[in-house]
Amino acid sequence: MNERKSWLIGPISAAADGTLYQQIVDRLKREVSEGRLKPGAPLPSFRALAKDLLVSVITVKRAYEELEREGIIYRRQGLGTFVAEQGRDRSREAKLNTAQGLFGQAAREAAEAGLKPAEILELAHKVIKGK
Amino acid sequence: MNNYAIEIRGLVKKYPRFQLGPLDLTVPHGAIYGLIGPNGAGKTTVIDLIFGMGRNDAGQIRVFGFDHRTDAVPLKRRAAYVSPDLNFQVWGKVGKAIRFVRGFYPGWDDAYCAGLMKAFHLSDNDSILTLSFGAKTKLSLLLALARRPEILILDEPTTGLDAVSKQQVFGELLKAVENGERTVLISSHGLSDIERFADHVGMIKNGMLLLEGRTDEIVDRYRLAEFFTNNGTGFQSREGLIILKQAENRWHALLDQKTGAHEWLQTHGAEQISLTRMTLEDLFVALVKEEEAE
Repeated sequence: MNERKSWLIGPISAAADGTLYQQIVDRLKREVSEGRLKPGAPLPSFRALAKDLLVSVITVKRAYEELEREGIIYRRQGLGTFVAEQGRDRSREAKLNTAQGLFGQAAREAAEAGLKPAEILELAHKVIKGK
Repeated sequence: MNNYAIEIRGLVKKYPRFQLGPLDLTVPHGAIYGLIGPNGAGKTTVIDLIFGMGRNDAGQIRVFGFDHRTDAVPLKRRAAYVSPDLNFQVWGKVGKAIRFVRGFYPGWDDAYCAGLMKAFHLSDNDSILTLSFGAKTKLSLLLALARRPEILILDEPTTGLDAVSKQQVFGELLKAVENGERTVLISSHGLSDIERFADHVGMIKNGMLLLEGRTDEIVDRYRLAEFFTNNGTGFQSREGLIILKQAENRWHALLDQKTGAHEWLQTHGAEQISLTRMTLEDLFVALVKEEEAE
């Protein structure tokens, strides 16, 4: 039953952006924030997910630890790992924080390239429309 | 009381032109451990010594607490060995080889064996002589896995395997450790595979352990540093910093972030320092090259 769920988040690739464990974190966050993994839903054990995604157990463990720290999932000794009640909000919050950080970085780069605030906004519009 | 599946302390083996060790190595329970190193580093020597092939000159090897010399029987009951050098041709057919090996191991799992046969596309009537190199490796792995050993030791199991076969092999290894009760020690040159699948790595060179630890921590720890100098400042390798290349005022170095080498560079005339993540393979090449340059 759990095996099917992990299918949703694969495959994990060395060619994609970010380390393998970050990819797992991002994919699971997306599952949670978009509501496909609901609060209380069980996650596969990290060994089972490692087997499905063909990555080391350590990689999945680290991803789970990070998600746990962010309050998106929780572990119950002997029972397994589950999506937290506030997982969806936390997941959105974490995404917003990341987005804000990235925008900040983009703005700094643009400023260093000599763009004025209005031009930076224009650039942002272009990027968003381009998507 | 023993946290390690394999614990090697002060291991020494002397040959006329090569000495292994003194070597300390620890393989945690339930892990896939990648033993890596250039050709001739001593990987196969270590594995052979674990199984009592050759006598060590000093040191200790313990597998689940069993001494490799005085407790060779219980050790071998728990450990399985896979190498491309194993030859099963004398049995003629795959089925015959399986029936023969199966007889030695009370823990043999027929259902698992049948599953592995399917996964590896092997059948009872295949003649071993005409199997491809990759299929022979898979047979060797099957014979080891179906015993359900507590520890599986593989010497270069993926050499000569195509990408699909390699993924099958690692898939089976991950399945084998899924319940957390089995341990795998694997020596390999396929560093991108090791980086992806191994929880721990140990790197040996010239018979000595260079580094050992969790794969992710090792990869996180090192960076390729590029920096510039403008007043002819010279840099030499120092703790945490290995100079790899210099062309005029541009420098490339391997940087160990744990040692404060980055801060040291910043305060000693290096400018525009940029750090780049490295793969395990990049790190391996940088570390092995350093020795050659000395």
